[in-house]
Amino acid sequence: MLSLFIVSGLGVLAMLAEIFKFKKYVFPIVLGGLIGALGALYMEWQTPKSYALFDNMIVFDKMALAFSGVIIVTAFFWFIFANDYFEEESNVVDHTALVLFALTGALMLTAFKNMTTLFLGVEIMSIPLYVLAASKKRYLASNEAGFKYLIMGSFASGFLLFGIALIYGATGSFDIAEIRQYLTDNAGTVPSFFIAGVVMMLVAMLFKVSAAPFHFWAPDVYQGAPTVITALMSTIVKTAAFIAILKLFMIGFSGAATVWSGVLAAVIALSLIIANFTAAVQSNVKRMLAYSSISHAAFMLMVVLANVRSNASVSGILYYSLAYSIGSIAAFTVFYNVSRNGNETVEGFNGLAKRNPLLAACMTVAMLSLAGIPVTSGFFAKYFVFTTLIGTEYKWLLILAVLTSAVGVYYYFKIIIAMYFKNAETTEPVFFETSNKLVVIITTLITLIIGFIPDVITGLFVY
Amino acid sequence: MINGISINMYMVLSAILFIIGAVGVMARRNSIIIFMCIELMLNAVNLLLVSFSTLHNDAKGQVFVFFVMAVAAAEVAVGLAILSMVYRNVKSIDTNLMSNLKN
Amino acid sequence: MVKLVGLVPLFPLIGFLINGFFGKKLSKGLSGTIASVAVLASFVVSLLLFFDAQHLPGHKAEVSLFGWISADTLDIPFEFLIDPLSSWFLLIITGIGFLIHVYSTGYMHDDEGFQRFFTYLNLFVFFMLLLVLGNNYLIMFVGWEGVGLCSYLLIGFWFKNTDYNNAAKKAFIINRIGDLGFLLGIILIFISFGSITYGQVFEKAGIVNESVITTIALLLFIGAMGKSAQIPLYTWLPDAMAGPTPVSALIHAATMVTAGIYMIVRSNVFYSISEVAAEVVAIVGVATALFAATIGLLQNDIKKILAYSTVSQLGLMFLGLGVGAYSSSVFHVTTHAFFKALLFLGAGSVIHAMGGEQDIRKMGGLKGKIKVTFITMFIGTIAISGIPPFSGFFSKDEILAHVYEHSPVLWFFGMVTSMLTAFYMFRMLYVTFWGTFRGTHEQAHHLHESPSSMTIPLIVLAALSVIGGALGLPEFWGMPNWMHHHLDPILYRKSVSMLSHETEWMLMGLAVVAAAAIIFFAHQLFVKNRVLPEANEAKLKPWQKLIANKYYVDEFYTAIIQKPLDMIALAFHKFFEIQLIDGIVNGVGNSVKGIGSVIRLVQNGNIGMYIISMVLGIILIFLTLFIL
Repeated sequence: MLSLFIVSGLGVLAMLAEIFKFKKYVFPIVLGGLIGALGALYMEWQTPKSYALFDNMIVFDKMALAFSGVIIVTAFFWFIFANDYFEEESNVVDHTALVLFALTGALMLTAFKNMTTLFLGVEIMSIPLYVLAASKKRYLASNEAGFKYLIMGSFASGFLLFGIALIYGATGSFDIAEIRQYLTDNAGTVPSFFIAGVVMMLVAMLFKVSAAPFHFWAPDVYQGAPTVITALMSTIVKTAAFIAILKLFMIGFSGAATVWSGVLAAVIALSLIIANFTAAVQSNVKRMLAYSSISHAAFMLMVVLANVRSNASVSGILYYSLAYSIGSIAAFTVFYNVSRNGNETVEGFNGLAKRNPLLAACMTVAMLSLAGIPVTSGFFAKYFVFTTLIGTEYKWLLILAVLTSAVGVYYYFKIIIAMYFKNAETTEPVFFETSNKLVVIITTLITLIIGFIPDVITGLFVY
Repeated sequence: MINGISINMYMVLSAILFIIGAVGVMARRNSIIIFMCIELMLNAVNLLLVSFSTLHNDAKGQVFVFFVMAVAAAEVAVGLAILSMVYRNVKSIDTNLMSNLKN
Repeated sequence: MVKLVGLVPLFPLIGFLINGFFGKKLSKGLSGTIASVAVLASFVVSLLLFFDAQHLPGHKAEVSLFGWISADTLDIPFEFLIDPLSSWFLLIITGIGFLIHVYSTGYMHDDEGFQRFFTYLNLFVFFMLLLVLGNNYLIMFVGWEGVGLCSYLLIGFWFKNTDYNNAAKKAFIINRIGDLGFLLGIILIFISFGSITYGQVFEKAGIVNESVITTIALLLFIGAMGKSAQIPLYTWLPDAMAGPTPVSALIHAATMVTAGIYMIVRSNVFYSISEVAAEVVAIVGVATALFAATIGLLQNDIKKILAYSTVSQLGLMFLGLGVGAYSSSVFHVTTHAFFKALLFLGAGSVIHAMGGEQDIRKMGGLKGKIKVTFITMFIGTIAISGIPPFSGFFSKDEILAHVYEHSPVLWFFGMVTSMLTAFYMFRMLYVTFWGTFRGTHEQAHHLHESPSSMTIPLIVLAALSVIGGALGLPEFWGMPNWMHHHLDPILYRKSVSMLSHETEWMLMGLAVVAAAAIIFFAHQLFVKNRVLPEANEAKLKPWQKLIANKYYVDEFYTAIIQKPLDMIALAFHKFFEIQLIDGIVNGVGNSVKGIGSVIRLVQNGNIGMYIISMVLGIILIFLTLFIL
């Protein structure tokens, strides 16, 4: 709860920096603030009670705290990685504030207990991102990314709102717990417009996590946006949107699973196929990572599909989101530095093993983790997801998932092969800021540690 | 029943408005008109919320409408800002011109 | 106190990390010191733990470090186990490991890969400790694979030599066969017991179907065959001598190759229950012992002789395990670690003095030139040949006494093995150190004693080889057999000797007389008559040829496994791979790309198009939900 205030307060403070002329200190203040927010999370974690705000519209329970932790940790690494993006641009302060506001929205999404806060969280997170995606003002690609994101995001918001309105009409409440109660009381007699509402909300949320066929914005926006913003979108934003789906459907609409589970299964299958197959033919790494993030979203959605509220499923998804976010941050950091010369294709990685052996090794770990190869955390992430699905009727999805992951291995290994078996024209090391090196090394270590001892995360809490 | 008119009528009306808005977004190429169509969709939602609010005799729905309006205003403000930036670069607001990122 | 157990593997790990990351920036002296001190620190902690463990309730303690893997029914904590067996192995690994580290600082001094060598060596010690300390089969397996990896890296340490690389690969591949058996065994344990933690498994061993136990025991033994070089998976060990000599001493004599023995003693419950499995172990053991000993007779490479001797001694230990003499085998592991490490290090010192020469035919008359090496190696040779009161005598005699009790036939073969051992070891000693120098003039000029960093470990190990027998004095002498009592708590079925004292005296006397006679014979042959190993292979008698070529086992494997495989592979390559598999793989690859490039066309960049497909998706959902 405190962390939400700290992060939004930081955002306001960052805006004031321009007026009161402490621009130089914004970066350390933000990092300190994030550590403070993490400390606050830890304190609240230690006490057994939940923290409720605004008449139960926001409740920080164990689950919310754990996922907030993932988001804030990722954000912390992201800020260190992105610091020179802020230095390059003139409007440091505005960008910092916008990112912090997006972060506020993400934190709200981990803790919402009411469709009002769900809607506000989604919008508070998305609107700053529209601006950030378009933040390279002179680049048409960046403009186009921001514009596409905005139009399609608002369009999806329309569906989200229409869904909320219909559900409100049927239940007379915005509260998730009350809707859950309504579904148990009126099992089998819910009006069809309630079901329409559930479907519209599902579609809107699937849009936010970029699952096929609502994914079209993602590759374009990811490619056009500045790389650091792409990293932000594919980690924090994706995690937050995913948690929102998890809470909404596994808790709120769990009783109406017959309506949405078939749709969700089809969406997952479609996402797996489209994402992996299209990623295999991409040469632009950012675009490839965008498709890879679609496939990861599909994996995470499998837990929602299993619709089992158990310790294994919730801690499994916590593990997945952390493994995915940390691995992506490492990959994006390396990619960002490699692509400084403007070459965003796989060839940019050629000969990296000779130029920067350590960072190439880290990138390899990140790729292996995203591909789900054992010893790295990505393997256990997939394993946990599979175990939740194994008891359900959707076992066929597992086969599809394994097959498409095999395709996935192909494009992740393309980068590894480029790094180790292809030669670049120079053997000069690629320039990495020390801070960026640290981010890569630490995130790689985390990937390996939680891959070796998954229990650190899965044993965190009993759902 | 609200003032003698069935709630279904309100739902049909807002659904029609919503669909008009959605079709507008799909069909038009002028960015300003697309924004207006999105506004129309949001207002359809507002109408629906208000009528349900009255039906349930519950103020929460109307409060929600304020949130929707505020967010819509923010979205449009950001949208117009981005649009003016785009216009500076391509001297046009036709969405067809913005299809360089693809495949 | 037992909580400190985590430190034992931690020190070598730190040493590994320091040398691995900063090795290039460290001077050789510092790098070697760090590596040695890391192992010494482990040794000190192990020593403390060892004495502390004596006072533990039940003589054991399980120390849980952290939760490791838990998912549904699979719950494996990362736990260490301190008990008489593991604490004893800790001492062997860290103690001898330390001496060999010190030795290596001298031996590897001029090698450019000095830091890399110590990096691998520390990593090896880390994995070996993990193997021994783990409280479940999975940790043992992790250590097992880890030491295999280090062994691979160290055999191929001089990676510029293709032969060495091939030897490394051979070791790795043959070990994989064993590992597969081990892994299957672990899986079967998990399926039948629902756990792989030692305590929980052994508790329930009595109530599980005996045929299942036999299968598990045999699968585990396949793992042991690979790691401990038993027939038919032994061929990698002689080739593994391509690695630097300290590696041969540490990994391929004293520690890693005894991992199979450790595993079987750890799982002694299975072998006590399943007589079939125990019998298989005994027979494979004795066959290996005899077989390798005969090959040892005609080898001329000083390290190869020791390598076959190691295979043979390991076979003897397995023979002991097979007849249920677990504590005797561990005793022999210990004494063998002393004298075989000593012999290898001594051989290293000889090679060092000879400027890299390994062929004993080109040595000779070295006893006056390198005195310390000579004396220590002499002690080692006496110890391995079974002359009282040196350590090897007691441990070998104990095993053989148990074997006699079990089956006089096996005992006979064991006895022959130990006579052959005495012969080929003294042959090596006499040919190397007596007679006249047969090397080049340059080598004669170059001859020198090794630096003290190499001789001190030799002296320490020689002392241990002399007094090591005190760990297990024969009970029928009225003396306490310390090792026997020490390991008693971990054994499922206690072995009690039923032999009369007269029989034991007789067996022991026979062994001593036989060994003395053999040594005398060797002396006559190699010192008096100065018979030299035949250099020209054509002049060898057919039986000698057979032995000198190691019974053509490698050729046999090549003929029955590799050649047919090559042929099948070629056939597969021509017909299946190129036409079918490549067709399929390329087909799959191309279709992935094909599908991908079709799908990507939908992504045409147009917002209107995107929104339309989104709406189409929604309409489709509504249609299926409400109309169909």
